[in-house]
Amino acid sequence: MSDEVAPLKVGESRPYRVLKSSGRGLSNFFGGLAILFVLWWIGGYFISVNPSTEHFASFGPIPTLKAFPELWSAGTIQSAVMASGYRLGLGLLISVIIGVPIGILMGRSKRFREISNSPFQLLRMISPLSWMPLAVIVFATWNQSIVFLIAIASVWPVAFATAAGLAKIDPAWFKVAKNLGATPIHMMTKIILPAISFDVFTGIRLALGVAWIVLVPAEFLGVTSGLGYSIEDARETLSYHHLTAIVLVIGALGYLLDSTCVLLIKHFSWHRGDAA
Amino acid sequence: MSNNTAPVGMNNLGNMLSNGASQRLLRSSWRGVSNFVAGLAILFVIWWVGIYMISSNPSTEHFADFGPIPAFKAIPMLWEEGTIQSAITSSGYRLGSGLLIAICIGVPIGILMGRSKRFRELSNSPFQLLRMISPLSWEPIAVIVFATWNQAIIFLIAIASVWPVAFATAAGLAKVDPAWFKVARNLGAKPWHIVTRIIVPAITFDVLTGIRLALGVAWIVLVPAEFLGVSSGLGYSIQDAREGLSYDHLMAWVLIIGAIGYVLDSTCVLLIKRFSWHRGDQ
Repeated sequence: MSDEVAPLKVGESRPYRVLKSSGRGLSNFFGGLAILFVLWWIGGYFISVNPSTEHFASFGPIPTLKAFPELWSAGTIQSAVMASGYRLGLGLLISVIIGVPIGILMGRSKRFREISNSPFQLLRMISPLSWMPLAVIVFATWNQSIVFLIAIASVWPVAFATAAGLAKIDPAWFKVAKNLGATPIHMMTKIILPAISFDVFTGIRLALGVAWIVLVPAEFLGVTSGLGYSIEDARETLSYHHLTAIVLVIGALGYLLDSTCVLLIKHFSWHRGDAA
Repeated sequence: MSNNTAPVGMNNLGNMLSNGASQRLLRSSWRGVSNFVAGLAILFVIWWVGIYMISSNPSTEHFADFGPIPAFKAIPMLWEEGTIQSAITSSGYRLGSGLLIAICIGVPIGILMGRSKRFRELSNSPFQLLRMISPLSWEPIAVIVFATWNQAIIFLIAIASVWPVAFATAAGLAKVDPAWFKVARNLGAKPWHIVTRIIVPAITFDVLTGIRLALGVAWIVLVPAEFLGVSSGLGYSIQDAREGLSYDHLMAWVLIIGAIGYVLDSTCVLLIKRFSWHRGDQ
């Protein structure tokens, strides 16, 4: 914008275009959500006018939106988000700490990649929740077993994405670095980590999606905090407006976390040419 | 085992067989099989050693049932009882119906997203919100809405797997060269022809990629969905083994779930390779 030599037309139109496109983005964002709520409201209306389903009227959007201040002032939302966030964060952290080194090993050593493929594919396709009985026996608290379930579900996307990222690195870079006298540590910090951070974040985004699926059923049993527990609790007390409110909170939080990952991925992308 | 260390005689034999390609193929597939078996063998040895060390400690002796040998002994037992077959049949039915519904709904939505910019822009925020609602949080609602638990489980699988299918379909359409539509229209193609001759062949690869992702998600959802309400299926069997404290059965089920998932995933990979037309890329 400070470029005064640039033709006036360009200088004027560029910020205007950005503004217009972000305005368009915002209006689409709210327009889409508004349509969803209208459809929901119509559905809820039909449920409430039919005498046989009358008592399910609180599934509609208006009772749900009324439930938000209730749940917020009772502190239910805050404490559920805190408890679930702690489990999710810890589980993802463990999976990144284990998954990234495994992925680097898979990407760098052909022998390891070939041998590890069949056991890793087998372990990956074990539905995470089938570890639950085992986790409950092995770990002292339910909290730990939930963290374990999230970690074992999300370690595979991180590891495979890291390996795929390493596979894309031009081998010449390693040769150049070696010729310039790089130590293995330099190799790691100056080549591998910057090159794969994009793929690691892609893996973390996938892992987050999986962890988000696992979190809710894992919290159905044993614990008395978290988003999964709140759903189960609302169901058992037949407070359907609380139920739908928590469902909405789960969707909104997931959307927020996923969008954060997308922003991070864009930030660390160096494949500008590929239009990835 | 690499080419360099292969005996000279073998190489000569390979040359004598007019085309070394078939021999190379044979050797590479043998290499694949040996890696496959060796990798699994290492996994089982680690498992065996781990459980052996744990169960040799008197205070954790009762963990011996978690070892690989009791699990392998339990598999023929469960097979003879017919438990494995019936669990696979009922879980397979639920998984198949759920995925079928997801494809029937997801592919048209994906085509709409890919073809109409207006729909794509408007639908993005509600679809992202719905996508990130953890599928199992629909469970209480599904149980109320549907008459049977079976239907509720199918609904959970369908709602979990519709998003990967829809988004993959849309991404596939985005890659289709717009010129193809122009060419087709100039050659007098009707909308129906455009769907059957351009869209479907072009996106099959991406739809299958989406189905593979959907299968992974559905496989995660299936087990917890079967924990409650039903008395058949893989999830129920896990829960049943746990409540009966039969840990050998538990580990057998965990293995069975992993093995079936592996087979399903590999089938998807084979189908994806078969329908790939992006030969230049990758």
